[in-house]
Amino acid sequence: MVSEQQSDSLMSLLNAGEHRLLGEIVADFNSKFPGLLRFVLCSSLSLLLENKKMLRPTQRLVALAILHQNYSSQKPSSNPFISLLVNAACDEEAEICERAFIIQLLGSNNSVTTTDHVFPFGINCSFLLVLKLSAADFIKSFDPSSLALPQREQLQKQYCNIAHPEPFNCLFKNACVKNVVPDPDLPPGCDPNSQEYDSWLFELQPGVKPKIGSGDRDQMITGLLQNLSLEGLGPRWIRPLPPRLPIQEGELVWLNPANKHELLWDYGMCADTSRGAAVRDLITKALKGPLGPAQQEQVLVELTNDPKLVYHCGLTPRKLPELVENNPLIAVEVLIKLMNSPEISEYFTVLVNMDMSLHSMEVVNRLTTAVELPTEFVHLYITNCISSCENIKDKYMQNRLVRLVCVFLQSLIRNNIINVKDLFIEVQAFCIEFSRIREAAGLFRLLKTLE
Amino acid sequence: MDSNDGVLSAAAKDASAAFHWEKFSECMHVLNQLLQNNGDDPKVLHNIAIARSFQDGCSDPKKLLVSLNNVRRRSIELAPVSEEHADTVSNVANKAALGSKGTNSVAQHFSTANNSHFGYGDKLDTSVTLINIAIIWFHLHEYAKAYSILDSLYQKIEQIDEGIALRICLLFLDVALASVDPWKFFDVLNYLEKACCVSNTTSQIGSSNLEAKSSSLPIPSSAADASESPLSRTLLEENLETLISNIDMSVQNLAGLSGLQSTNNRTWAPLDHSVSTSDLRLKLQLYKVRLLLLTRNLKAAKREVKMAMAMNVAHGKDSSMALLLKSQLEYDRGNYPKAIKLLMTSSNQTEIGISSIYNNNMGCIYYQLGKYHTSSIFFSKALINSSSLRKENPKMLSTFSQDKSLEIIYNCGVQYLACGKPILAARCFHKASLIFCRRPLLWLRIAECCLVAVEKGLAKSSSAQSNKSEVKVRIIGNGKWRQLAVENGNFGKGDFVGKDNGFWGDDKEPNLSLPFARQCLFNALYLLNCLESKYTNFASPYSSTSEENRRKNSDNKSSSVSDPKGSHLSNANVDSKEQKGGSAPNATLQSSILNYEEICRRENMMIKQALLADLAYVELHLGNPLKALSTARCLLELPECSRIYIFLGNVYAAESLCLLNRPKEAAQHLLIYLSGGTHVELPYTEVDCEQWRVEKTVDLEESNGGFLNSKNSSLDETQDVVFLKPEEAQGTLLANLAVISAVHGDVEQAHRFVMQALSIMPDSPEAIISSIFVDLTIGKIQEALTKLKQCSRVGFLLGTSH
Repeated sequence: MVSEQQSDSLMSLLNAGEHRLLGEIVADFNSKFPGLLRFVLCSSLSLLLENKKMLRPTQRLVALAILHQNYSSQKPSSNPFISLLVNAACDEEAEICERAFIIQLLGSNNSVTTTDHVFPFGINCSFLLVLKLSAADFIKSFDPSSLALPQREQLQKQYCNIAHPEPFNCLFKNACVKNVVPDPDLPPGCDPNSQEYDSWLFELQPGVKPKIGSGDRDQMITGLLQNLSLEGLGPRWIRPLPPRLPIQEGELVWLNPANKHELLWDYGMCADTSRGAAVRDLITKALKGPLGPAQQEQVLVELTNDPKLVYHCGLTPRKLPELVENNPLIAVEVLIKLMNSPEISEYFTVLVNMDMSLHSMEVVNRLTTAVELPTEFVHLYITNCISSCENIKDKYMQNRLVRLVCVFLQSLIRNNIINVKDLFIEVQAFCIEFSRIREAAGLFRLLKTLE
Repeated sequence: MDSNDGVLSAAAKDASAAFHWEKFSECMHVLNQLLQNNGDDPKVLHNIAIARSFQDGCSDPKKLLVSLNNVRRRSIELAPVSEEHADTVSNVANKAALGSKGTNSVAQHFSTANNSHFGYGDKLDTSVTLINIAIIWFHLHEYAKAYSILDSLYQKIEQIDEGIALRICLLFLDVALASVDPWKFFDVLNYLEKACCVSNTTSQIGSSNLEAKSSSLPIPSSAADASESPLSRTLLEENLETLISNIDMSVQNLAGLSGLQSTNNRTWAPLDHSVSTSDLRLKLQLYKVRLLLLTRNLKAAKREVKMAMAMNVAHGKDSSMALLLKSQLEYDRGNYPKAIKLLMTSSNQTEIGISSIYNNNMGCIYYQLGKYHTSSIFFSKALINSSSLRKENPKMLSTFSQDKSLEIIYNCGVQYLACGKPILAARCFHKASLIFCRRPLLWLRIAECCLVAVEKGLAKSSSAQSNKSEVKVRIIGNGKWRQLAVENGNFGKGDFVGKDNGFWGDDKEPNLSLPFARQCLFNALYLLNCLESKYTNFASPYSSTSEENRRKNSDNKSSSVSDPKGSHLSNANVDSKEQKGGSAPNATLQSSILNYEEICRRENMMIKQALLADLAYVELHLGNPLKALSTARCLLELPECSRIYIFLGNVYAAESLCLLNRPKEAAQHLLIYLSGGTHVELPYTEVDCEQWRVEKTVDLEESNGGFLNSKNSSLDETQDVVFLKPEEAQGTLLANLAVISAVHGDVEQAHRFVMQALSIMPDSPEAIISSIFVDLTIGKIQEALTKLKQCSRVGFLLGTSH
């Protein structure tokens, strides 16, 4: 934004065209305003120049000089207002005097560099002839006969020959119109196009009292300088404000009193570690050999009385095979109690991988009837049974194992532990292979009835 | 050595007794003696820490935490010794095992598994220490920390002493509820019911079972007899034949026996000291109600709360908790008068903790009634109550958990935001972020505060943005030189970006601005995406929060179906009865959790729509049309996107495209609303607005119309949520179509559109400016001037000072 003070001082520069040299005015302009502001002011001036009646002729010349000189150190083609200047120079409706002024301004460039368009730095405005006059003097001394007006094409070719890349600008801005509309406050019936409307007549004839509605031109111009914007007025897009999300259900926190949770005392402090020691000893023994009936009972009773004891009796998955081989019934009980333990799957893995034996089969059989075993485990176990039967070399032992497996399978089938369909082919092949054995034939018949 | 042990354990008993009778100084005395004898016993150190905190009131829970963590570390330091010991033992066994069969992979698992196998009564068992740590975190509202400890404890709950296991489970219920993990809650509740036999149905069957077989307990002769006969013979290989014929028979016996035993195994006999079975049963019933309320299964909640009331009456217990839950139920159902009545009867307001709860809940009810002023009074009362609670002496651990001021502050924030006080609201949300920072909704609300603040010109870094609701015209000069300059306002400006990087100012208060809003929206989107991926990863029936959960759950499921006592008892009708009775209530819980997940998913979708719309808006404001465009496209691609947000998405996308100089694509976003060449449809209807405003899950038959309606009418009189009416949205589309036509150079069409827009909303400053633009472009200066002078929304300012 241009401040009031700045617009006032620019106004005084414009008005100084009556008596000061243009060169001085331009130098003042350069020294009074910082770089970026100069561009803003120049663009305001260019907008003011568009309306021919807004500025007085001397003011126009000052403005044109500023527009040209502000960029005189660069190539004319990089002056952002060059096309405005060229157009004004070719404007048939404009004052001849003004057009000649512009051509002289432009020509001053040429006189320095004749062939190429490169301008040395430090070109001083004092080299230029026109700048050594005041604007009023220029008008007075202007001789229209001495002027040959060049063609527009020629000027354009000479000064605007470098194509500017179109600056990126959004559509809204490209479509802008000037945001200032004249709204003359004239008495009704007064024709704005009449002689009286011609602005400067009033002021050039000091004796005549201004009529109603004359207004103050300078005040208007300083006002415009402050309010003209390069952006102009564009169509306005409506960007609706997104609505606030309605309050979600349960978003407001409804409070309920918290339950009491008090710190706990550790009653295990210096506790009697002998608790469960007996069972631990017995289990250790049970890994090495069968326990007597009384000992077995003691283990079972203690395990039942203290449900957590099973986790602390010293058994680990690794030790399970020994327990199975030596004390299958205890193994069954322990495994049943461990069903809820997170480690139960490890126990199963061990069980399925240990050597096939009567005892392991018995353990599995009892487990199947007591708890739900994972189906994969049962299937894997059966597959292991069958392959063990096939791999045994000793005929006697093989017969025994096959009979055992058959009874085991029949028991599983009768108790609906396994779904025969899942294993049908495997079991059938097994029966056929060992059809010489009575139990296998029985199993085969059972399969047939189920089919 | 042995005698020393005896002395020590006697002293320990003394200390325990002193603790039990709350003679803490005496207790400390004994403990200190123990410490001198047995310097490094972690359990003694632990109990000293506990006793001390009881002695001087727990004024500094963090300190207690530190000492408990030291105890825990100490136990872990001592642990390797015993592990080595275990290893040497197992190594021997391992060699033997390897000899017979090489199962290396299995063997490797063991060494890790062994760690949890401390000897019984082991000094190093840390479960009590751990639950105490979890209890402290719970009281400090650090639910995530408590959760992770409890979850690890819960993994091996079977091994833990019953009394402690019960405490773990009860605490875990509260923590799971607080961290909104209904599946874990369900899991633990199921486990507790099974373990304690307190579920009504199981207990009946369980007891009948027990009575039938109790003669054979404990493991006595009859059972042993049954199994003994085959057993003795199995060992004799010669008797294979008999064995074979006996396998089948023994199965029956064993099944009966083990079924019984395993029932017994899972039953926690009349639980320890403090909790009676009936108390526990009531507790679990109330927990169940809370889960149902959380999951918004109001029908079932109603049924269960009735049952809880009946249980209260039967046992002559204080029923304030049940009443409070009932009040919440009525609140959730939208029956506010009844909720108020119940709330008033439920509480004796003498207790400060309770009265803060009472006031907060009253505030919630009045908010829902649209009486924001009253609700703010209640909320601030609740805050005063909790701050006086904080000053109470001596401090107990529970005073920390009773202090719900952060939750109340969140409620305050909601209320301030609704009243259009964004700065106060943001201050509240900022404080509440201590507990709610993982909720996307919190960040959305803060962003909304920013938007409101910017809109109202309250934002700190926003450029002095004057009232946008009118067109400003500056009068320059006078007389015949008079010119009118139409101010172009904030058009296309993207310079809100505050240079300060810290969004939180020095006073730790949010610096409301659009960049800050964007930051908040990103936070919310991130959190929301985390939630979403959680839901998509576990799309199966158990779409629960963690892998373990799922595993646990399915374990439970299979074991509940196949519970040993169930399917293998020959008594088939007991079986079916149990299936029916035992699983029914929990099936309700399960299905309501599944329902709730669906509700949450839909809610998150709603939040996501709002987030993306806000974000696109903010990006446009900040001058990032490319980002705004991609955000708007995300919004439009959302499945189940509400028509309101589709409208917003299209308008934002069109504007971004215009800003990017792609008017044709921009037009396409608006032209979808165009029918028959010139007529623009309503982008959404009143019904859409209604649905969006009241996303209620109340089943209509339950809420017999009355109060729902009254609620809506009361909503209307407040400014709860303001948004464009469908006609205004239509006008917006028309005005924007005019803009696009204008920049296209089709002035005639632009004129037509903008005139239609003005006929719908004659006061829209944007539409006025667009129409003036069109007039000026055509050269109808006089018409433009007339419009400017006639429109009520134009403010004239004197251009310069004279």
